[in-house]
Amino acid sequence: MDSMDFSDILASSIHDIKNSLGLILTNLEDLIGNPENHIANPRQASLLQHEARRANSNLIQLLTLYKLGHEQLSMRVTANNLDDFLEEVVAENHSVCRALELELGYHCEPDLEGYFDLELVRSVLDSTIGNARRYARSRIELSAAQEDGFLVIRVEDDGGGFPPALIGLLEYQPGEFAEATNPGRTQLGLYFATRIAQLHHNGDTVGRIHLVNSHHLTGGCFELCLP
Amino acid sequence: MADAFTAKTFLVIDDFADMRAAIKGILVSLGVAHIDQARNGSEAIAKMQQNHYDVILCDYNLGPGKDGQQVLEEARHRQLIGVDCIFIMITAENTREMVMGAVEYAPDSYLSKPFTKDLLQTRLAKLFERKAHLTVVNQALLAKDISAAIRALDLLISKKPRNLGELLKLKSEICIDSNRLDEAATTLEQVLAIREMPWARLGIGKIQFMRKHFDQALETFRQLIEQDSNFIGAYDWLAKTQTAQRHFAEAEETLRTAVRLSPRGIRRQHALGDLALNNGHPEIAETAYEHAVGLSKHSVLNHPSMFAGLAKSKSANAKHDEALKVTGQINKVFPDQQEAAFYAASTSAIIKTRQGDATGAAAALAEAEDVLARLNETVHSSEHALEMAKTYAGLGQTDKAAEMLRQTIANNHDDDEILTQIVHLCQESGLQYDAETAIREVQRDLVKTNNEGVRLIKQGEFEAAIRLLSQAADEMPGNKTISLNAAKAIIMYMERQGITNDNLQRVRHYIDRVQTLAPDDWRLGDVIARLRKLTTKG
Repeated sequence: MDSMDFSDILASSIHDIKNSLGLILTNLEDLIGNPENHIANPRQASLLQHEARRANSNLIQLLTLYKLGHEQLSMRVTANNLDDFLEEVVAENHSVCRALELELGYHCEPDLEGYFDLELVRSVLDSTIGNARRYARSRIELSAAQEDGFLVIRVEDDGGGFPPALIGLLEYQPGEFAEATNPGRTQLGLYFATRIAQLHHNGDTVGRIHLVNSHHLTGGCFELCLP
Repeated sequence: MADAFTAKTFLVIDDFADMRAAIKGILVSLGVAHIDQARNGSEAIAKMQQNHYDVILCDYNLGPGKDGQQVLEEARHRQLIGVDCIFIMITAENTREMVMGAVEYAPDSYLSKPFTKDLLQTRLAKLFERKAHLTVVNQALLAKDISAAIRALDLLISKKPRNLGELLKLKSEICIDSNRLDEAATTLEQVLAIREMPWARLGIGKIQFMRKHFDQALETFRQLIEQDSNFIGAYDWLAKTQTAQRHFAEAEETLRTAVRLSPRGIRRQHALGDLALNNGHPEIAETAYEHAVGLSKHSVLNHPSMFAGLAKSKSANAKHDEALKVTGQINKVFPDQQEAAFYAASTSAIIKTRQGDATGAAAALAEAEDVLARLNETVHSSEHALEMAKTYAGLGQTDKAAEMLRQTIANNHDDDEILTQIVHLCQESGLQYDAETAIREVQRDLVKTNNEGVRLIKQGEFEAAIRLLSQAADEMPGNKTISLNAAKAIIMYMERQGITNDNLQRVRHYIDRVQTLAPDDWRLGDVIARLRKLTTKG
């Protein structure tokens, strides 16, 4: 054990916790999905599911950052159809949103293609949707478009929007936004998104994230720009 | 939607009962009626031998034994699943890196745990669309009727369906495998006209390589790597091209970079071991073979030649005792296999020579010769012949080595890969044999015979052509091209003059011979199809 770094112990524990969460999530879905089960307050079950998924996506982010720090993360950039991709992301988050009485939709050109690591970008979007769920009043919307040489993927909600301190282009370093701490929009999520965006590059152009308010819906709008 | 799921057959492979039950639960709720389960790789392979599956959901991590990638490899390699089967690899966060770099045998899709019912449903619906109508194509491929497969694909492509990309990709692969290079190039250009896609550009490079336009191929693969330094497939082909140009040191360098990026490819490690050992870098060879042997423990790609390479490189690194231990392992890992016994004996002969044990070496050499004679009745496979030649060279028996090489050249005069290996072997082993000249002479003689045969056929002098080609085929029973040309000449004769039993038997004899030597030779399909057409018509 001497040679084992504490972060290694943490990483292997996180794997273990994640496996348990995986089984909890799968069974929870069965439990909720089975019409023969009678749950007095279905909203409670959905909240459980919502929080378990958030915990799961946080763990994935931690593991990814751990690997990034140990130079063990390899990228798998593929050509992806955005219509297919967003449809999947929406499908995966649909049931939780429905239970929370939120509408979740997406729109983009059917032929739009982009080059990125599918799993990494998926975890960015999952966690962003997870955050948006806490702020949205009735609606979360995903979209993608080609703008100025970047593929821009947006996650918008119709809530109160981001606090002014967070608005703009993020070149995020850990701890930098400590004073703007907001219990819902965790630092981890934004830091993770920034790092993943930066891993994507094309020639000299590097990916980035942007936060704005009232883009299309009234609330916050998270923009992931990939070259 | 439900109908698309109910009619399909599924195989779920996971070592955890809870996980299998959970996946099965999701599938049942999607309306799937036929679901088989397997607990490990061997069980999965056994199930695939017995049943046809439309969809296979396989966890990457299957405990001891084969992992998910090795299940996929074996299933594709042994053709237990066809192009119409959907193989989905289920991965956990910690297996992400391991499944990367799977070039030759990539699954149709990855799914990371945990996934929801909604995601699986959406994903499957997409994959069904992608694989739609491929059953006909698969049947034609199984029957080795390439023309029928391409006709079926062309019909599908003409309707411009949503899975057009998948169809064009499949068509280009089939065309490349069957050496229809013009058609393959047209198909790939069609894809590239819409958008630059690395897989299509790689295909163009492969075609340039097969047309022996090595400089162009080199440029194509270099550019692909420049655009994406993680594109493993481009490294493999770049190394092949450098080898074909006899730039062996550069080829080794390329593969060294590639294994750093993706260390889990068995073939890549094996190729690096071979190159490094011949280039006089036994330390690098030892590491590469060590990886190859370790990775292939549960793999269908496991082969005694990798153990032989490991033993030889250890011995070249003056670790003779360890080397002999490895040769001792060969017969244990591959019990009752003549081929393994051959590699074990030939390798021992080399090691014992280096140890100064002349008696032991002579005994091992005698055993290798003995097993080889039993192993191949008329013709040695080129791998075995080269191994034997290397052994003779290592023991200083240069005349026997040269004779072995001369035969190998005569049997493979148009197989560049083997000829290059021979040249490399002669260069590095210090063998006094002018391989380049020998190759030129054999090629000149054979081309002459061949051209004469073609000329006679064109003039309608079939009997003379058949006599010439049959004689050449009997003199060089290991030469596939001559055998196939003799078969073709007789078929053409029968197409005009009618079928005789005698001629039919001669054709089958030549086809059988090639089939034994190289069951995957792309030229076989055409000859067999032509013969089938002739016999069903008559």
